[in-house]
Amino acid sequence: MSETHTRHWRLIDTGVLRAAQNFAYNRALLECHQENRSPNTLRFLRFKPSALIGFHQDVRQEIYLDYCLENGIDVQRRLTGGGALYFDEGVLGWELYLDKKSLGTAQMPLIAEKICTAVASGLSQLGVDARFRPRNDIEIHGKKISGTGGAFDGDSILYQGTVLVDFDIEKMLNVLHIPVEKWSDKAINSARERITTLKEEMEHAPQLEEVKEQIARSIGDAFQVDLNKEDDLLEAEKTLYEQALNEIDSPDWIYQHNRPRDDSSIKESITKTPGGLIRIGMSVDKNRSHLKQIWITGDFFIKPRRVVLDLEAALKDTPLSEMETTVRNFFNRNHVEMLQLKPEDFISAIKKAMSDDTVTHQKVTS
Amino acid sequence: MGAVRGCNFPEDLLYNVENNVWVRRESDGTATVGLTSYACSLAGQIVSYTPKKVGKSVKKDKSCATVESGKWVGPAKTPVAGEIVAINEAVAANPGLINEDPYGEGWLVKIKPDNWDADSADLKTGDEALAAFEAKMEADGFGGC
Repeated sequence: MSETHTRHWRLIDTGVLRAAQNFAYNRALLECHQENRSPNTLRFLRFKPSALIGFHQDVRQEIYLDYCLENGIDVQRRLTGGGALYFDEGVLGWELYLDKKSLGTAQMPLIAEKICTAVASGLSQLGVDARFRPRNDIEIHGKKISGTGGAFDGDSILYQGTVLVDFDIEKMLNVLHIPVEKWSDKAINSARERITTLKEEMEHAPQLEEVKEQIARSIGDAFQVDLNKEDDLLEAEKTLYEQALNEIDSPDWIYQHNRPRDDSSIKESITKTPGGLIRIGMSVDKNRSHLKQIWITGDFFIKPRRVVLDLEAALKDTPLSEMETTVRNFFNRNHVEMLQLKPEDFISAIKKAMSDDTVTHQKVTS
Repeated sequence: MGAVRGCNFPEDLLYNVENNVWVRRESDGTATVGLTSYACSLAGQIVSYTPKKVGKSVKKDKSCATVESGKWVGPAKTPVAGEIVAINEAVAANPGLINEDPYGEGWLVKIKPDNWDADSADLKTGDEALAAFEAKMEADGFGGC
């Protein structure tokens, strides 16, 4: 049972909205919070089917725009960082508007950890083993169930994430450029090894209200606050929302940052090692010299198996110059059993993919 | 070079401590703006940098560039108002330069100030800046760079 606390935060639930409306709320609520007009707030939100790119991303580099347009999928740019994602009604969104003082730290990675740990604990109340995984995921047995990202302005932060309740993985592969092996028809299986849903873990889709209740309770406990449900927004928030919607619900906002498409590319490699074959698929932002996302597959022996997924998570959004250090640190930190396989083999396989010149944006399923 | 809790703060720069940014007036009258080493330490590895466009006017204490680190997006707020006259192409190609050399190669924008004297009057420098950063770190619960 939750205790009663002396501090109160607001809880709002805006239901299913278009992506532009959801992000207009992001801007309005963060701005009002920064001006001390809005209280600390937990919001639950859902989306009509949408392809959502991170603040610094480019639409055409991240998503199959034609597919989205043909299938009535909204395309929008978030205010928060991180990668592209596909959202539909089977995904629950949650977000917090807080001042750094409520968090006891101003260090961004620690803030992310604290919030994700609280949300993971709420999900675990549903009978699954959900945990925070650095830097920004919540996972169940190594499979991602929630991705998160944030924005800040002064002492105010907005931190938001997903919970995959009942999710169409095939559709996601049609929408997003994901570094799956182009030579393989195993894209969906690869995705299922990396992503899970509450429906899959619980063997039935839970009631959304139950999921929300557990997350809210767990956040209340983690930050020692009571959450008070409110149905209406403040007048100042509504006014800012209308202004923000005007700007965000426009091609100028969505398609900004356009760069030539080959600035970001999917690179691949197959490397034979004494321990087996390592296949690398990764997306790289050449303009900013960083590795955005990587999938590592192959027939090598490694135990526990989730190590590969954790290594993928550790390498997400890493400058290429830091890749080698990140891999070495990862293996130094984790106890891993491998047969004739060394950390250097992963480094070599990734380096080989880095020198791959074929730019591919091949659609895997249709 | 001054230092607070392991973070460097060159004593010849002017700082807006609240916004964690520095500014330096160059001999040609322009002002170079950047993030402090403390801001970089709070953010972690920076992976994206989007400055306002050259020719655009920016207001004092409003965003002159947006940076992203570990999925966090936030504005860098210029300590002086004016027109953006240069952005940093080297940082665009390698945003990690901001972490590596925040007071040198990792600068964010150069601005032609509208009113340098008025805007710089409330900025802190030298020992006064170091004391203000110490107070901010204390309030932020920050262990050290």
